[in-house]
Formats: sequence, structure tokens, C-alpha cells
Amino acid sequence: METANETLKIQTPEHVGFRYVLAGLGTRSTAFLVDTVVRGLFILFIFLVVMLLARLLPEFDPTGIFALIPKTWFLALGVLAYGVVDLGYFLIFEALWSGQTPGKRMQKLRVIKVNGQPIGWLESAVRNILRAVDLLLGFYPLGLFVMFLSSRSQRIGDYAAGTVVIVERRRDVPMDKTRLRSTSKLNLPELELHISTLEPKQYQVIRSFLQRREAMEGTHRRELARLLTQRLMKRWGISPRVPLTDESFLEEIVGIYERTRKAI
Amino acid sequence: MDLGADDHVDTTSFELTDFDDTHLNLDEGRIAEQNLLGDKVSSLLTTRGVPMTQSAAGAEAKRFAISLTGLKPGSSQEDVVFALQRIFPRQTVEQIRGALTKLPLLLTRSATEEQAKKVKNFLESKGAVLRLIGPAVLKGSTHPDSAIRPTSTVVAPPRQSETVGAAAAQQGDRPYTGVERRVKPRVHPGIGIHPMGIGEILDRAFRLLRQHFLLFFFILLIPQGSFFLFNKSTQIFLGGGAQQNMSAGMGLGLGVSFILAVMVMLILQFWAQGALIHAVSETYLGHETSLATSYGAMRTRLGRLLGTMFLVGFVIGLLPALLGIGMAIAVPILATMGFGGNSTAILSVVMVFIGIFWFFHLLLNWLLVDKVVVLEGKAWRSAMRRSKELMNTRTEKGFWKRPKNKAGLILLLGFLIGLGIRLLFQVPGMLAHMFVPMSFAGLTLTMQQVLNVIATSLAAVFTAIAMILFYYDIRLRSEGFDLKAMAEHL
Repeated sequence: METANETLKIQTPEHVGFRYVLAGLGTRSTAFLVDTVVRGLFILFIFLVVMLLARLLPEFDPTGIFALIPKTWFLALGVLAYGVVDLGYFLIFEALWSGQTPGKRMQKLRVIKVNGQPIGWLESAVRNILRAVDLLLGFYPLGLFVMFLSSRSQRIGDYAAGTVVIVERRRDVPMDKTRLRSTSKLNLPELELHISTLEPKQYQVIRSFLQRREAMEGTHRRELARLLTQRLMKRWGISPRVPLTDESFLEEIVGIYERTRKAI
Repeated sequence: MDLGADDHVDTTSFELTDFDDTHLNLDEGRIAEQNLLGDKVSSLLTTRGVPMTQSAAGAEAKRFAISLTGLKPGSSQEDVVFALQRIFPRQTVEQIRGALTKLPLLLTRSATEEQAKKVKNFLESKGAVLRLIGPAVLKGSTHPDSAIRPTSTVVAPPRQSETVGAAAAQQGDRPYTGVERRVKPRVHPGIGIHPMGIGEILDRAFRLLRQHFLLFFFILLIPQGSFFLFNKSTQIFLGGGAQQNMSAGMGLGLGVSFILAVMVMLILQFWAQGALIHAVSETYLGHETSLATSYGAMRTRLGRLLGTMFLVGFVIGLLPALLGIGMAIAVPILATMGFGGNSTAILSVVMVFIGIFWFFHLLLNWLLVDKVVVLEGKAWRSAMRRSKELMNTRTEKGFWKRPKNKAGLILLLGFLIGLGIRLLFQVPGMLAHMFVPMSFAGLTLTMQQVLNVIATSLAAVFTAIAMILFYYDIRLRSEGFDLKAMAEHL
């Protein structure tokens, strides 16, 4: 069966287990696209500066030294700067930002060693020098092929440096707590008892609905609220006639559940 | 009853697709004779059905009229509106809302007994109060108005939300029959599906491709391979001296064969496209499928898919064609009027930009048409409307999170990844050109062509999978069907 994520499990010598979600081709491509745009802007900026210098320096230099320098030198300076940005962008950012570049940060990706430790200059240098091999002929044909075969979605540079790219764990968007605060409209003594029997998975379904409802189409939102309410009532064998909407009822349930869990 | 997407229908729940106009025969078309109430309201919702003529008096006697007389106390007007919209897909929600302000509302007078019962049960479950007028009454009434107008109209004040108790009381112990406007995806209980970002969609597409590589690849390889074989055999036939000694009859035969072959290829291509949509959908939702099952599932929907895709292609292609014709007429006229080259050039650039904008606008609006046809059983304008509706749904804030922009980015990334795949398959050919002797040039060329076919199939598969996941992502966000599936197991 197809699974939602591919994970990397790491066991420390102390038998503590970590699980990382591995980044796939899509998120990495998106990050690369962002980095390409940023690199392009860097390079454009460098060329603009070099061109301005080449034009303005000889005019404003009273000593006349710059007038003697051939303009091809400025061009060479620009090409050198381009090379530094092109080669150094990934290397420097990943080494200094602990495995992240602007694109990776935006996509919440991070390069780590296969043992879970952060990467250093050496790993960053190896994986980014070998990027040229992955990039052979452009558009990463070799990198794609190797990633396709790799169980950890590693390209050649990753294999050589012993690194993987992971998705940083994201916290769920915090729900508006005020909405979930129980208003005590449900005056059912047995309700808290019922709510305490809710399994975490069931609670997650209700909570997910409350988190995502704003994005839902009105009909489906009402329908789902009603479905959840009916299921809960049927499960608990209750039918409270209270002046609450389905969604308010679910908010009450989640509010009470979270309050009781917190108390425990 | 063919629901169009039977594989996805949960048989335990009442499916709105039962009320598709092809089954219920409720739609516009017989306005004149169905305008029973003679007012603006009743003319909004009209019926088509089997045409009722004088000669069809016998058939008329077996037909029922259905009138919506009010809303149950505590029911939601919006539920009824959306339920009616399912029955009358050509009416907009606003039109139906307007119609509901003036009750009673005649829905049809040509429903069969079975249809009438279905409509009654369905709409009553949504909170509508209905009145059925049997054939005897209809037959006997000189003016149907008198027969169907209720003596008293119960219109409960519509409310924004309903109470838990009332909702539960309404439903009782009946199985859940929610407003399922679309075909309900059949989700495997153990599968993890959730809304995704662009990167995640592409990640998952890549993972799906890797896990079901042979299935997806062979689905698309069939038409591509057939086209390649046909091309090759034609080349061999024409290259074998037949071209030189060809008579007029042979030439005509060859031309007809070529046209037939192109038609077969097109059919095969769309068949494969539909089969791929089916296969990806099944695997994404956690079910097993096979090459034969995927192709088999498309047999009943192929006609609809072909027709709808041709319609979409025609409409999208029409605009550039019209602009081209417009330019062809305008340029000489402008020239005779003395406008110089600059004016003509500016006009051409403006027209080209308009053409490109509208082309992409329409293309993105109808990007999901094929998925809608295959997975929801809709067709023609209905599928186009649904695709447009999905592509214009706002489920997230932010410019780049609009469905059209997301789709554009996915297509761009898919294109770039596709380029990488194509380049990869160029490498063996390049190496062969460098190292294999010239005497094997024909073999090298054939190998390169075969690799091109494989590369094209792979690149197409990847983007296609990503777009199917994108379709599901919109539905997950706006309809929450993953939550519905999980809620069923609460």
C-alpha cells in the first residue's frame, strides 16, 4: 500500500529512536527552483555592480589608475564572482545554516548526516561538488535516476557525503483556543465520561475538521459537522437537545477532551 | 443504475448521482408546457423528461408531479438549495435560492413513480416539504396549477445553523445520507491522505511512480508503443520500394489507413489517459489495481472522455484561431487605411498577449476535466463547469496557493523534471553515436527512438500523476472527504 511518507529511522547507542520524514523529489525540486531564483538575483546583482564599477570608476578616479585597467578585467571579475556564487552558494549556505539554503528553509528541508547529526563543511563540500555529476547535461538526469532507485531519495552527492535531506517536523497550526473553550452549554453529567473514552485517533479527526473547516465549502462543512455529531451521539447513545450547532458541539467536545487530558 | 463512477460509490449511502439528469430526466427543455405555475418562480426549475405530447397521453397518466411546498422547521435552506442544484445542474445556486423565496415550487410533472419517490426521499432528507401529485389527479385536472398548489404553504424561517438535537432527531437511526454532491471517493481505512503543498504533491507523485512503476508506465506505453510501431512499419513499407511503385489506388488506401491509424491512436491515447487516472486514483486511495482493471474501468467512460476532451480542445483552440483570423483581416485593412508598420506590430503584439492569456486562462480552468469525467462520471459542459469550479476554489490564503497558480507551478516543475528524464534517456544514444560503428547507424537510431518513447512516457506519467493528486488535494481541502472517510469509522 502506498504510504504518506518515507521515513528514516535512527537508533542512538542509548537506544533512543528518532524518525525523520525524508524529502522527496518534489520538495527538493521546489527548493532548488527557489534557490535558482535567489542565485540568479545574486548573479544579476554582481553583474550590475561590476558594470557600474567598470563605467564609473575610471570617471571618478582622480589618480587615473582605474582608467589604465582594461575593461576585460572587470568582465573577468564578474565571471569570477559568478563562479563563486554558483559553486559556493549551496556549499556556504548549507555549511553555515546547518544544512539549509534559502530554498530549503522555505520548504522546511534540512540536510543531515545519515546518523542524524548536522552536516559540516566537509559534507557540504562533497555533496555540492558532486552536484556537477548529478547535474550532468542539466536538469539533474543522473540525480533523478539515482534518487529513483534510492530508498532514501539520495542523489550521488548524498551517497558520497553520507547525507540525506529530511523534512523538518512541522507543528500543527495552533487552533484558536478561545473557540474550543468549553462554554458549559452541555449540561450532561455523562458527557465527560463519554469524552474520556475518545481515542486519540478519533479526537484527531474532530480536531482536524475544526482546523480545516474554514477552507471547506459550506455544504461539505455542514455535512461533515453533522456526520461527526451523529457518529458521536450514536456511539455514546445520547441525544441532547441543546441550543448548539453541530460545530459548536464538536468544539465543546474537543474543549472538554483537551481540558481533561491536560488535567490528567 | 450506472452511476458513472461505480467503483467509487459507497453503496451504503444515498448517492446524489442517482439524480443525474440522464437518469431522472429532470432538466430544462420543456419550459413552455411545464410552466405550470405561470410565474417567474416556477419557470426557473423546469423539466425535460420524455416529451409529453398529446399522443403520449398514456405515458402522461403514469407520470407524477412533484411540488416543493416548504421547508421543515429547523432545516437548513442551504442544504435544500444544494440538493436541488444536484437535481437541476444547469441552474445556478443563486437562481435556486431566488426560486425558493416564492413557494410553492413545481419541480416536475413528468417523473415516474420510482423517480418521484427517490426525489421525495432525497429532498425530504434535506429538510424540504414535498407534495406528490399522482397520475389520477394530473389526468383529471384541467389546469395543473389547481392540482399542485397546496392549500397551505409551510415555510419555516431558514436559519443559519441547526441545533444538535434537531439534527439528530431528524436523522433518527437512519444511516447517514449527507449532501454528497459528488461521487464519494472510496478511501481505504488504513491509508493516510491529507492536504499537501506543491512539493508534497510532487513527492508523492514520485513515490507513487516508484511504487507502481510498471503499472503506470505500461499504461502509457501502450499508446506510445503502438504509435511507434505504426510509424516504424510505415517507414519500412515505404522505404522498401513501395513508394516508387505506388499506384493511385495504393496512395489513397495508404492515406485512408493513415487517417484511421491516427484516429485509433487518439482513442488509445485518451483510453490510456483515463486508465492512468483510474489507476493513480485507486493506488492513492489505498486500493489495488492492475493494467487490465484500469483499462477495463474506462470502457464505459471512454466515449464521454473523448467527447469532452475534444470539446475542451476545440474551445481552447478556437480563440487563437479566431484571433489569427481577426489579424489576417485587420492587417490588410489597416495597411490600406494608411497605418504604418508600427501600428500593425503593436496590434499584433497586443493580440498575441491577449491570445496567450486567454489560452492559459481556459487551459487552467479546464485542466481537471479529464479527472472529473473519469472519477466523477460527469461529461461535457457539466465536467467543464465542475473543473472550473474546482480550479477557482479558494481554500488557502496567498497568491501562490491559488489552485491555478499551484497548477502552473506543478506543470512547470513537472516539465523541468520531464526534461531531466528525457536528457537521461539521451545519454545512451549519445554514447552509441560516439562508440558504435557507422555500419550500425540504423540500429542506433532505432534504439534512440525506443528510448525517446520510454522517456516521453515516463515524463508524461510523472506530470499526470502529480495533476491527479492535485485534483484530489483540492477536493480534500474544499470537501474534506478524507475526514468523511475517517468519520465513517468513528
